[in-house]
Parts: sequence; C-alpha cells; structure tokens
Amino acid sequence: MFEPRITNVISGPKTDAGSVMVIGGGVAGMRAAVDLAEAGLKVYLVETAPSLGGRVAQLGYMFPTHDCVLCRGTSDHGYGCTRPAISPAFQDKNLHPNIRLLTLTNVIAVDGQAGDFRVTLRHEPRHVDPARCINCDLCSIVCPVELPSSFQMELATRKAAYKVAVRAIPDAYIIDRGPYCDDCGRCVAVCPTQCIDLDERPHESTIHVGAIVMALGYDLSDAGEYEELGYGRYTNVIHSMQYERLASRSGPTEGLVLRPSDGKQPQRIAWLQCVGSRDQKYPYCSSICCMYATKEAMIAKERLPGVHAQVFMMDERAFNKEFNAYYEAARKKYGVEYTRARISYIKEDPATGDLLLHYPDPAGKLIQDRFDLVVLSLGTVPPRSAKTLAEELGIELNEYGFCQTDKFTPLETSASGVYVCGTFLSPKEIAETFLDAAGAAGDVMRLMSSQLGQNPSSREYPFLSIGDEFPPERDVSAEPIRTGVFICRCEPSIDGVIDTQDVAGFAETLSNVVHTERLAFGCIEPDLDRIRQAIEAHGLNRVVVAGCSPRTHESLFQRVIRQAGLNPYLLAMANIREQCAWVHESQPALATRKAKELVRMAVDRVGLAQPVHKLHLKPTNQALIIGGGVAGMQAALSIADAGYNVTLVERQAQLGGNLRHIYYVAEGQNPQRLLRDLINRVRGHERIQVLTRSEVKTHTGRTGDFRAVIATRAGDGDVKTEMRHAVTIVTTGGEEWRGEIYLLGQDERVVTQLDLEEIIVHRPEQVAEFKQVVMIQCVHPPTETEYCSRICCTNTMKNALRVKMLNPDCQVYVLYKNMITYGFREQYYTEARRRGVIFLRYDEDHMPQVARRPDGQLEVRAWEQVFGREMCLSPDLVALSMAIVPSPGAAELARILNVPLSIEGFFQEAHLKMRPMDFMEEGIFMAGMAHYPKFIEETIINAQATAGRAITLLAKKPLYFGGPVAVVDPEKCVGCLTCVRTCPFEIPKIQADLTGVGGIIGAAYIEPALCQGCGTCTAECPAKAIQLVAYLDAQLMSETVGAWAV
Amino acid sequence: MADNGNGFEPEITVFMCIYCADMAADTAGALHIQYPANVKLVKMPCTGKTDVQYILNAFEHGADGVYVVGCPIGNCHHVRGNERARVRVSRVKKLLDEIGIGSERLEMYFVSGGMGETFARVANEMTERIRALGPSPLRELQSEPS
Repeated sequence: MFEPRITNVISGPKTDAGSVMVIGGGVAGMRAAVDLAEAGLKVYLVETAPSLGGRVAQLGYMFPTHDCVLCRGTSDHGYGCTRPAISPAFQDKNLHPNIRLLTLTNVIAVDGQAGDFRVTLRHEPRHVDPARCINCDLCSIVCPVELPSSFQMELATRKAAYKVAVRAIPDAYIIDRGPYCDDCGRCVAVCPTQCIDLDERPHESTIHVGAIVMALGYDLSDAGEYEELGYGRYTNVIHSMQYERLASRSGPTEGLVLRPSDGKQPQRIAWLQCVGSRDQKYPYCSSICCMYATKEAMIAKERLPGVHAQVFMMDERAFNKEFNAYYEAARKKYGVEYTRARISYIKEDPATGDLLLHYPDPAGKLIQDRFDLVVLSLGTVPPRSAKTLAEELGIELNEYGFCQTDKFTPLETSASGVYVCGTFLSPKEIAETFLDAAGAAGDVMRLMSSQLGQNPSSREYPFLSIGDEFPPERDVSAEPIRTGVFICRCEPSIDGVIDTQDVAGFAETLSNVVHTERLAFGCIEPDLDRIRQAIEAHGLNRVVVAGCSPRTHESLFQRVIRQAGLNPYLLAMANIREQCAWVHESQPALATRKAKELVRMAVDRVGLAQPVHKLHLKPTNQALIIGGGVAGMQAALSIADAGYNVTLVERQAQLGGNLRHIYYVAEGQNPQRLLRDLINRVRGHERIQVLTRSEVKTHTGRTGDFRAVIATRAGDGDVKTEMRHAVTIVTTGGEEWRGEIYLLGQDERVVTQLDLEEIIVHRPEQVAEFKQVVMIQCVHPPTETEYCSRICCTNTMKNALRVKMLNPDCQVYVLYKNMITYGFREQYYTEARRRGVIFLRYDEDHMPQVARRPDGQLEVRAWEQVFGREMCLSPDLVALSMAIVPSPGAAELARILNVPLSIEGFFQEAHLKMRPMDFMEEGIFMAGMAHYPKFIEETIINAQATAGRAITLLAKKPLYFGGPVAVVDPEKCVGCLTCVRTCPFEIPKIQADLTGVGGIIGAAYIEPALCQGCGTCTAECPAKAIQLVAYLDAQLMSETVGAWAV
Repeated sequence: MADNGNGFEPEITVFMCIYCADMAADTAGALHIQYPANVKLVKMPCTGKTDVQYILNAFEHGADGVYVVGCPIGNCHHVRGNERARVRVSRVKKLLDEIGIGSERLEMYFVSGGMGETFARVANEMTERIRALGPSPLRELQSEPS
C-alpha cells in the first residue's frame, strides 16, 4: 500500500510527457525541483553524490543574515525551518509525490530534443536500501575501515560504512566499497533490517523527459596550485571551506575554530582573498569570497575573544542588499581589519607553526607580520563534470568553462529545452542561486505549459499527498477516546536498552488506552499495515507511536493513520530512540523508566488532541503585475504563455521603464531590440491586459483571492477598474538618483552616466572633441544609507571603453572606492586598464572635489594614493555614477500592499537569502530593481523566478492554508494589542467587525493563511484568548509535563 | 526516582522547540552522546510558546528543575521567539526566588541543531545542579501527610 518514494532504482512509466530532469542536487536543483513539482510536473532530480545539499550543506552560516543553514533544507540539515525553505518536500518519509530522487547517479547520454529527451543514466550502487535503512549506525560501528570525511573537508574521519552527515537526504547509510574495503561482510551480518547488499552492481536506465535543468554547481579552485601560499605544506594554512566546517555547529568541533597543528585557539587569523580568482589563470571574479571571508572573520570575532582578524584584499565587493552595512559592521562593530594587499608568499616559522606575511603598512613600508592561522579564500571554478556533460548535451561553455547563455535569455543554454541555473551559470551567492533556480523552473513551465497541473499534489494534510489517495475521514467527535499505543522495538536500537515489554505493560494501564502492541520495525512493512489493521480492528481514534524521531517519521505515521481513516492530528509520537535509548545506553533501567514517562505524556497529549482541517480556496486564473519595465513585461509574458491571464499596470504612458534609455551593454547586445520585442509581444498577447497611466489604489484579500482597484488617468479624471486576482507581482523598478552634487545640474559638462550614454549614442562627434573625461563612482545622496548600486562599475567600464573607442587619445580617469565588476564582468575592468583608462581610488577621507575655475574650466581634485598627493585634473566632461534609488511610488505602493521596505527603501523580501523574490505575505512577489539594483539579465532571471512562483500558485487547485495556527476566541479578547505587538510576523490585527469580551467593539483576528504557528502570541495573551491548534494549553499544562509516574 | 538508594535523583522537565533544540537532541542521539535519564523532553513549536504558566505548572506537578532550550539568538525560526522566551524565563526566575523555590532551578539554553555535544552537556549540567540543590521544596510540601 505504501510505496517508499525514495530509491535509486527507477520504476515508474517509461514515457512520461510531463516530466523534467534536474541535474544537480544542491540548493539550486532542490529549489527548481520543488517549484516544478508544485506546478504539477514530474521531476527526476539527479545527483552524483550520495546525498543532497551540495556546497551549501557544508556551510555553517550565511552572510549577511548569520542564519545557520542547519535547518534550512540542505543535505546536512534535512528538516527544520520548513515553512519558507525547501526542505520538507525532500524529507525521506515526505518526499514530494512529483519528485523522484536519484542519488549516486550520473547522466551518461542524452538523445532527442526539447519536449522529447531520452536520458541514459548510470546508477552507482549504494549497497544500502534507503527505504529499509533505519539509521541505527551498527554497520558503521563494526566497519574496520576508517577514512577521511570529505564532508568535513578532511578535518574528521568516517568509516567505509557511513552516513554523509547526521541529517543527510536520503536519510540512510552508504557502503563505500572502494579499494580499502576488504569485503569483511561485518556490516551485512550486523544489519538488523537486512538492507545491505554488497553485491549490488551499477546499472543503467533510460528516462524520457520534456526538459532538462542543469544545476551542476561549482568546484573550488585548487589551493595547491598556489605553492607560494604553502597550502599542503604548512599545517596552519587552511582554505575557506575547511574554515566553514570548523565554524559550523555541525562541524568536527561544533563551531569552535582550532588550529590544526596544535588544537589551540588561534589569536591572529588572516584571510587571503582572490586565491584562484582575478588572476592570470582565473581572470574572472568569484563574486562570493569578499562576503564569505567577512562572515568568517566576524564569526571568529564572535567566538574567539580577543582574536585579531585581518583580511587581505584588492577590493571590497559587497554588492547586494545590506552587504554594505555588513562590511561596516565587520569593520566598526566587530573590529575586523581590512588591508589592501595581495600577499605574494607565506613563510612558516617551523618552531611555532606560525605564518609570516609580508605586506606594505599604511605608509608604504614593507612589514612582516605573524599570524597563527591563515585562511585562503578560494575562488570558484566550473564543475569538473561540466565539460563532458556539455558535450553530451550539446551546450556551449564560455571561455572560463561555465555555461554560456545570452544576456537576454539568461537561463537558456544553446540547446533548446535545456536550461541552466546557479553557479554553473556564473559564480554567485545563495540568494541569486535561488532566483536562478526558480527562474529556470519558470522557463520550463512556459515550455511545458500544456502539461502544467497534470500531476496535482496537495498540502491538505501536514504531509504532501496526491490529493485523492485516501478514504473518507472518520468522524470521531462523538466517540469515547480509544487510544492505541505502538511501541517500536527497532531491535537492537531500542530493545537493546529499553525493556519494551515493560513499557507496553505500563502503557496498558494508562487511561483511554485500549490497545498496545510492540512492533519489530514500525516504519516499514508489514508493521505499518499492522497499525492500519489495529486502528480498524479496535476502533482506535487516537494513536501513539513510541519509536524514533518525529522529525523524520511523523509524516509517515500521520499518513498511515490517515490511510486508516483518522485525521492526521490524532497522532502523537514519543521519541524513545534518539532521545532515550541512544543517549542513556549505560542506564537501561532509567531509560526504560523515561520511555514509560514519554509514552505517558504522549497518551495524555493525544487524548486532548482534536482533528484539524485546513481551509482551502480555489485561486482565480488571474495575475496582477505592477510596473511595466523589463521585469514586469518579462513576468507577464511568462505567466501568460503558461496559460493564465495577466493585468499589467504601468504608471507612465509607455511601457519599457529604464530600458528605454539604454542603448548598448558591456556584452555588446542591443537592448533596444529587446525593448521592441518585449513591447510587441506584450501588446499582442491575448492573455495580457495592459493598463498604462495607471496606478493601484487599493489591494486587499489573501493569496489566491486578492481584490484591487486600479485607477487609470484619462482626459476627464480617473477611470477605475476593479479586479480579482490570485497573485501580485511588484516590478516598479528603480531610477538614477539626480541630486545636486559635484555641480550636476549647475554645469552642463557635469552629467550622469546615463546622460553620457545619450551623448555617445546621439552625439558621438562631441566625444571626439574630448581631451579628458573624469568619471566619479559611488555618487550617492549624502544623508542616506550608503549601499552599492551594483551596476555602475560595469556601466562605467562600458562607457569608458566606448569613449576610448571613439577617441583613443582622450584621457579617461575613473575615481572609485571599490571596483565592483563581479563575475565575468571583471573582463571589462581588465580591458579598460589595457586601453589606458586610469583608475584612482578614493575614500571617505579624500573625497574628490569638482569645481569651476574662474576661466570656466572644470577642475577635479583627487587624492593619488600611491604617490600620496593630490592630483588636479581638467576634464572636458565629468560623468557621475549616480546611486540607483527606488521608484518614487515605492513607499506609497508598499503602504497599499501592506508590505515592508528595506533600509535602502527597496521592497523587503521575506528572507534575504532563502526567499529573495517572495514577500512574507503569501502570494505577493517582487522582481527587478524594485528589489535592488540589478543588470538586465539579472532582472530577467528575477522576473522569470517570480513568474514561476506565481504559476505554482495559479496551477494549484485548491490552495490550502491554516492548520496548526493560532486562533482567537473573540469572546475573551479585550483588544489590548499584546498579540499585535508580540507577533514576530505582524499578523494579528484588531478588527472592528468583531465583538470582544463584554460586547466591546473590536477583537483580535489572526489570518490563518499568514500565521506561522509559533505560538508566541498565545503565551503573551493576558486574557488567554488565543490557543494554538495542536499545542493547546491543556496539552502543555497537564500533570504529566511535570510529574513522573514511577 | 526521588531516592534510588544513591541519594536524590532529580526529575527535570525540558521545554524545547521543534527546530534547533529538537534537532540537537536528535543529533546527540545519532552520535550516541550520553546524558542522564533525568530529563523529560516536552516539545513546542517555538520557545516563544513558553508560557509562564507552563513552567510554574511543571514545578507545581513535581518537577525539581525546568529548563528551556531554543535556537541560538538571532537564529530563531520564528525570528525572535527565543528572545521572548528568555525574557519570560528571567521573569519566572524572579518569581521562583520570591516563592522560595529558587531561580537556579530554572534555566534557558540556546543550541543549534548540530550541537549534540552541547545538548548533552546542558542536560548534565542541569542534572548536576538540581541534584546538588535537592528536591523541589514544592515536592516535599506535597509529600507531607496532610
């Protein structure tokens, strides 16, 4: 009856038109797979490694949020922060019904074309059946072979029979039968479920899919290539990923950074940037190292009192939301020291293992400095499997070996029907990887629009299901409580310590318990069926399973009791394995006593449990998009192409936004062609309604069922349009700040970079006259928070190169703070220097000065750092890189939508890293410069990502919400606002149409579609007017919580 | 377990969130890190759910010690439920001093899901502490013949 959905053996139909293959099981592949599965497509997720999670699984904390990644849905960290992230759909016992997970699998051949690929796979043996592995660790305990753990970056060991990490997905062991395994067979002999098969052979299979998503990820550059830095020779020179493991709470030292040579806490740590990045061999920028090194330095400062943390770097590339503030905090609050130097060699003091670095001090004098730990910030290189796979798929790679795509179709590879996302496209951080992944999923949904929703999945229950797979639910409301207790022996995991017979005998004496049964392995057949049969035979209406962790198995047993006609919330689990037997091995009598106590508590709790049903609604077929620039138009096309209606609202008279003023890009394509193409397709699309000169006036409702009023300016006043829609996308963009600074607006020779672009395109003869041009970077409103506008440096390179092209003799000076040409854009910086553009760095203490001399000549004074003196320039033109600021209407729109803005004034996403395109409010998304300044290709990706997310909601019928959430009893509510102030998500509202205690007007209301179920309000409510469903006060205050029975 | 022949053995109730804390407990299990069987684990969706009443109720029903385990500060799944809990725990500590039970019988800890060692260390620490303090005064009151 129950088919384990996780295996590396394929069953299932041979031809499956609505299916997609995602190659790569890191966060990009996982995200894309979930989105596709939610849109009703079948997904084969292929991963070479034995478990999911990729690089991110190895990281301890993310910048700049310092969230640990532990519970955010990666291999190491299967369960946990489930609601927003990606993990619950990958839990072994709750795998998304549309996802088939194929670990230890490689693609060896691909035939066919878009819509009809035949992919040949080779499956390496795991030698363990994941569906039967109970993670008892016995195979590992008896295994005589000890090897370095690659998950822990060789900082710890593992056995040949091992689990990649405690919370690996699949949640199972693996037998590594490398040359060191001598086939002793001890693991086979000891395995209690006989799930080990040492004779398992590799095998091949062929799968038919309609589209392929490449999410291959990246590899680290080889620290050993840089011999002068001593990696591999000096023990205390480690690389950044090793540092991540040391700093990770799931690392070998639970987050304590210790020196490899002597296990002492380091006192002076140096980070060396750009190792395998921005050099001769790897000329591109790896984009992430500046930020992760800062994170690592900050964590060192937090964990190691008094430590000196110094980062040696060329530029600070902090080019995303809140990154600038992060650097400021590192420098000022944490005291991380930054030194602009590229260390050319390291020497070791053999007596102490300390490392000697040479670099110039602020006065320019070369000094020697001693550190006890050096971390090499490794760059990213293309995945090693890229080349062969690219050849097999017929996709082009760029000059650096990453995937080649066009700027205006950034996620499409050169092979039709094959898409790319994540770091295989270009080096990038987690948030952008998620955008890519959702965007590639959006692309696939558009391609396979006729198959969307063909495999509907349901979130009706706390586990994922196919919707109609269960018998009708039994109404137990009138029945007396009849509890069944099932105790897993899990021999010898539980039975070896706990006397389960004794526990069972005790359970029988508890009130309402009518049936008690011991099971050999409750989590696998035939014992699962014994539970179903017992429910029927004994008329049970409450079930307790005492066994292993509810984290991994609750959804399984909830499903099982639902299969037997019971509401899934009528289950309670007692964890007598991980939280009892395994941690009290030396005190079996006391462990048995505790197991009884845990069972007693569970019986007590489940006796008070009531069935819980989620609310549901059918979403409309309509999306609303606010803002008609590239992002809005792109999102509109993606959604409309997938078969849903779109209303596109634009404030101005014309579509196009900023793109109307962009004539060329650094990469060479013509953005005006993109503009014409987008406008023509949007205007001509039967499913897109365009409302120009229009603004959203009101916006209410919830995901799936929003209402809005749109006002269109007409000759004789506003025309109002009312609409009902399922999703809203905010694409209101940003614009160049135009403040009075550096004589801008006072002297026509001082222009912005956009102005300069107009001159270059429309008046090139003027450029031919220039003898000297000065470009000043980072021009921002002096009183506002400073942040990196991300696109200006590359934009300046683009214009500087154009000026040099039109007029090679013209001197071009660029005054900059940090040159942020991240990723492959580094080549334009290199090219500009090659063509003679002169770069002068300035800082807060030496700001450039622009003035007009009495003779009318412009004068720019700038500090020359190398010579240590001021330079006086006399340019014909000064071009300013103005900050990108949010559109003027952003604040007003945020108020109407009731969504927050970030400190920079852009829209604030639900989570900086994990949910970059979502608002906390479900059903509202953002894309483009409304989120943060970004390039055209990034905007397109972002737009496709939101479109993909929108389609998953539109394709889902019905939408479920609520469940275990906080519910207010208005008759007890005094309207004191405590819950309103307490809620971390600002969800409770006082509603005037409700009547509170004593007939007062107004009582609190908590929207079930938004409530996150933490219960913080229930604990603060002075009137005890709020209860959290499934965690009732009565359940948490029963006698069993305090008193021990025996 | 008040007297098992070797002196006093405390009964301890642990309120913990189903995110980091439960995961840390499971990590301790997976790695077979040993700690005393005196601790009874009670799950909540978030330590923000820790009602002052729950703690007092546990003492009232016979717990000799109570501690609350949540995600590290700044890493709460519900943003700042753990901070709310911390404030409430310190409030209850004052109450416990006032009513003669003693604030040292209550504590709050912050662990990350991977910190199995730390979870076990905390259990040891609290068990040792309560063992040294002896049975809860409430329990002695209740066991006196009335």
